[in-house]
Amino acid sequence: MNARSFGLGGTRRLPSIVLVARREIRMRLRSRVFVGGTILMTILVVVGIVAASLLAGKTNPVRVGFSGGSQALEATFTASATALGAKVTVIDIADVTAGEAQVTAGTLDVLVTGSATAPTAVAKSAMASNVESALSLAAEAARLSDAGLSPVAIASAMALVPVQLLQPPSAKDNENLFASLALGIVLWIALGQYGNMVAQGVVEEKATRIMEILLATIRPSRLLAGKVIGIGLVGLLQLTIVGGAALIAVAATNVAPIPALGVASILMDILWFLLGFLFYATAYAAVASLVSRQEEVQSAVAPIGILQIAAYLLVYVALPNPSGPLATVCSLLPPFAPILMAVRMADTDVPSWQVGLAAALTLASIVGLTWLAGRIYGNTAMRLGTRVRFMDAFRGNARG
Amino acid sequence: MSDDVRTLEIDHISKRYRQTVAVDDLTFEIHAGEVFGFVGRNGAGKTTTMRIVLGVLGADAGEVRFDGRPLDFATRRRIGYMPEERGLYPKMHVAEQLTYLGELHGMTGADARAAARSWLERFGLADRRDAELQALSLGNQQRVQLAAALVFGPDVLVLDEPFAGLDPVAVDVMADVLRERADAGVPVIFSSHELELVERLCDRVGIIERGHMVACGTVDELRAGGLERRWIDVPAAPDPWEADVPGVRLLRTDGTRRLFELDPGVDDQALLQAGLATGAVREFERVEPTLGEIFRNVIDEAAA
Repeated sequence: MNARSFGLGGTRRLPSIVLVARREIRMRLRSRVFVGGTILMTILVVVGIVAASLLAGKTNPVRVGFSGGSQALEATFTASATALGAKVTVIDIADVTAGEAQVTAGTLDVLVTGSATAPTAVAKSAMASNVESALSLAAEAARLSDAGLSPVAIASAMALVPVQLLQPPSAKDNENLFASLALGIVLWIALGQYGNMVAQGVVEEKATRIMEILLATIRPSRLLAGKVIGIGLVGLLQLTIVGGAALIAVAATNVAPIPALGVASILMDILWFLLGFLFYATAYAAVASLVSRQEEVQSAVAPIGILQIAAYLLVYVALPNPSGPLATVCSLLPPFAPILMAVRMADTDVPSWQVGLAAALTLASIVGLTWLAGRIYGNTAMRLGTRVRFMDAFRGNARG
Repeated sequence: MSDDVRTLEIDHISKRYRQTVAVDDLTFEIHAGEVFGFVGRNGAGKTTTMRIVLGVLGADAGEVRFDGRPLDFATRRRIGYMPEERGLYPKMHVAEQLTYLGELHGMTGADARAAARSWLERFGLADRRDAELQALSLGNQQRVQLAAALVFGPDVLVLDEPFAGLDPVAVDVMADVLRERADAGVPVIFSSHELELVERLCDRVGIIERGHMVACGTVDELRAGGLERRWIDVPAAPDPWEADVPGVRLLRTDGTRRLFELDPGVDDQALLQAGLATGAVREFERVEPTLGEIFRNVIDEAAA
């Protein structure tokens, strides 16, 4: 029997939280919607990455053809273009008319004609400005050389102005910040999805009326905690599958450099994700406890969704000044800490007492929310069919 | 374990829903080894009482005790409960579901699986073990619901309308199971509207009306409070014929047969003499009121 498939439940008595979580995991792994959804998401993500890599491949590099005397510019043009961040391929063109035909046909992006000191560029409809600048620099160097300057003198004459930054960006590089932010956003979206799954799951027992048997056996807070943990583990599995497929696709297609995040930073991101998940999943469970029908769940959980979006927007408001008072205070508050503190830590050095305080407050509010959700659930369980006012549910006279 | 322990005591419980009084100062007890039938009209307070016993609802006043101690969460976990609102997980497999509930009640996985299997066999559902619950007919879902109340070997059974919706075969199995559990020392209480079944199966019966226990005892004890009745077949008597015996009332006429009710202390031989005075008496029969008749009487009296 598949009951042994988790290696549990043989000859030991298991705590009810474990039993509930195990049931959630089994039922979801068996559900066609979940399995199909995971497969579909994985396919979509991989197809998206492959498509992006194909599209990105078309734009690079810019093909520049040189004909006649301008061919002397090829070496300096390539060097200047590289310095300006443009990817170019240089091609010798023998016949100007044939070259123009290639530009019209789109097989050549730019055709350079004329002499090295007075070249002319031909393009189809537009020309990248850094390619144009690189060509101008190459022509200028050719004219200076023509005027008798030595290569050293030319180099010094054309040296770029040095730029000194008074407030250089933090030691952590931008790539890290971007990766962390992107990860944060993906996880935040996932949070909403799994939170909704928890909310639907919480109503399940009421909608199927099984909770009358369950409530005589298990305390509501344990039932809810088991649900949150079970759905959370299933969610993590799904994220790992989809995320793993995405990483493999990125590595295989070379569409973007995989940011070399340190192990510590990845662990911190995972920790904050787990805290965020537990906080929001429990909040979803608490509000879902107020209703007893699946169709009422969406409107009941709307406030939590709004809170989540607010937290997400706060990231953009607070990010320009990650150590300012707004960012600091908000990153300590449980509803915002999981995303804001994670982003701040990627962006700047956050004092460890702040990290500890934020984590402790979040943990405490998870425990508090679990208690609250259990109380609401227990008090409203026998009031089927009507949405219960929050204060009634909290006080417990909803029993009457 | 002796008979005076393991008693379920419902002690002066009251419960009101806003303006409505559901249960009012209700007191009764169910002894170990006893099947107790809980009858009453719809809305009389049966379900509320059972929910309070299970702790699913809180009482406004009063206490429920088992084995001399107030029921706490640990004791309640040992109660097998079949709620009025049936409910199991529709998409969970039948045996898996029973195993899960067994484990939630504190069994090991292996024990719960074995118990689930044996109850499914007992209820004739062994071949539906791995079906989803929602694939079963309503009657079979009901059997699974009963198995869910029994699977962990409860110390007390509280069943709200366990016979509703069962076919005659399942009714017999269920009746056997309740008797067998009671014989094993478990107090069993169930509610039902099928009074013949209650009369046949129960050691004691409680009749509840508007939250009050209006009669409680063995069926014989309940009868003792009622009035004596006689059928008499008097073919030669004029129609109508009312016997004209003091303390004797005609209840019903069925052809030449008539049913009389006798006030307490009235000698039934006076009725027989009156019958013989009209001519031949073909039949003279003492009839005991059925539980249904007792029930109607008691409810009428309570309303009066």
